[in-house]
Amino acid sequence: MADTNRKTSGPGPDNPGPQAALVDAAARVLENLAELEPELVNAGIFDRNLEAVCVTSASPDWPKQAVALLEALDSSSGEEVFDSAHIAETDGEVFAVTEEGLSLVAVTGRFVLASLTSYDMRMALRDAARAASSSGDVEPLDNGENGGSEDA
Amino acid sequence: MLKPHRVVLDKVSSYTDEAAAFMRRRRHQRREFVRIRFQSGAESDLPVDGAGARRISEAARRLIELG
Repeated sequence: MADTNRKTSGPGPDNPGPQAALVDAAARVLENLAELEPELVNAGIFDRNLEAVCVTSASPDWPKQAVALLEALDSSSGEEVFDSAHIAETDGEVFAVTEEGLSLVAVTGRFVLASLTSYDMRMALRDAARAASSSGDVEPLDNGENGGSEDA
Repeated sequence: MLKPHRVVLDKVSSYTDEAAAFMRRRRHQRREFVRIRFQSGAESDLPVDGAGARRISEAARRLIELG
């Protein structure tokens, strides 16, 4: 799962896309996450507009389904603000974590350590956001909506 | 000394106990769930037969199928 697909369509006047520093940082943290989580199948990082920053799956449908999942989680949260989710199915598990305006969706095998996986995902998002912010290419992401919890 | 049929009965009942425990574990392990945590710190296990959980599960299942 070392291959990552940077899902930006390239900078341009009409579609600036996610910032290059964020894309590079996202690719790096996804590779690190794959090393930390041997059961990780695929993962993807999405920005606050639910546009794919970087995904590891080669399938073009993967980002669409991940966005559909994030939207479903958001709409199911009611008046609360969605922070993270753990969905267990018979053939695998899916984790979603939001942090600093970014969302990370990961598909894993069955029976992984849920809290550890969520923690690693949150740290990966913080790492990506920090790297993108410190590069100066991206404005620091605020801690408002989807700012993530402080207890991870 | 136990009568021979008691020994057989004990053996059979221990096997059925083991089988029942195995089935309980298997049922528990195959259980599907949707667990959401909110920024407030609250956590919610959505009812699996609810519309929200079905939509989430469907998206998750497709993601798992895609690999």
